[in-house]
Amino acid sequence: MLLQIFLSFLKIGAFTIGGAYAMIPLIKKEVCETRAWISEDDFLNGLAAAQSCPGPIAVNISIYTGYHVKGYPGMLMAVLGSILPSTISIILIAMLFNQYADQILVRKAFSALRPAVVALIAVPLIQMAQKSGLNQKNAWFPFVIAILVGTLNISPVYLILLTIVFAVWESHR
Amino acid sequence: MIYLQMLFTFFKIGLFSFGGGYAILAMIQQEVVVKNAWLTEAEFVQVVAISQMTPGPIAINAATFIGYQKAGIPGSLLCTLGVILPSLIIMLLITISYLKLRNQKWFQMVFKRLRLLSIGLIAAALIMILGHAVESIFSIIIFALCFIATWRFKLNPFTMLIVSALAGIFFGSA
Repeated sequence: MLLQIFLSFLKIGAFTIGGAYAMIPLIKKEVCETRAWISEDDFLNGLAAAQSCPGPIAVNISIYTGYHVKGYPGMLMAVLGSILPSTISIILIAMLFNQYADQILVRKAFSALRPAVVALIAVPLIQMAQKSGLNQKNAWFPFVIAILVGTLNISPVYLILLTIVFAVWESHR
Repeated sequence: MIYLQMLFTFFKIGLFSFGGGYAILAMIQQEVVVKNAWLTEAEFVQVVAISQMTPGPIAINAATFIGYQKAGIPGSLLCTLGVILPSLIIMLLITISYLKLRNQKWFQMVFKRLRLLSIGLIAAALIMILGHAVESIFSIIIFALCFIATWRFKLNPFTMLIVSALAGIFFGSA
């Protein structure tokens, strides 16, 4: 059972490119349908929690599912499985990258990859903004945050702590 | 010393990033580029491109890559551990208590506000890399094409980055 948890998450970690949103449908299919370890309702509750908890969403949902299926050992197996392919492939790529980073072809490729990356962050940003209930009344908040952090280099940590305190106060008013 | 500092920095990144991969990238930029100057903005953009082209969670990829660049394999393992440690602790607590907490008004309000804040943080990350990434006519064209392909035609990031890399090799400048 533990080995199967590890292998299931290893497979998902190894074959999804593009982060959590690519991994979630595969995790759901594997744990709710193929293995039937957890009900769809439980999974969706866990997913909501994984998205609100700090840290990588894919790791959070692995923790939830692994713990749900087999307690602490299950949790560790799921996390290891989902990050191992990343860790191994990135170390290999980093080794190669350091050797070839100064080659003309690599530098030319990155001259186009840099603007492509900006587009790849801009699109999910707009999609997240649409899903998070952004409207004319509250749009000032992310706007001010972006200015404070992006141009005045204020550490997000203080802003996050302030936001948490304010939100708790707001709900007790 | 550098090992401890890396572990602590990535622990902080994991602890204070709400909203997944892109929020974590914004936090990594703050800590690694702005605060500790371990990477330049241009190197950070390279890390993001490589993280998106490699299998697995983007945040794990970025943490492993930066750790390796800074301090070899031990560095990569420490940064990865650092970034998942807060998850292991907090997500476990949430898993155990979520069903009780999720109906609490304060709990919902905190996460509603943090989601909006994450959007601001990602926008800040964009503001900071924009000048280093979109600086020539060629890069403006690539940016526009990639934006349209992702936004309108839902092209997946991997294909897009491969096509962009080829475009750079043939038409870009070194």
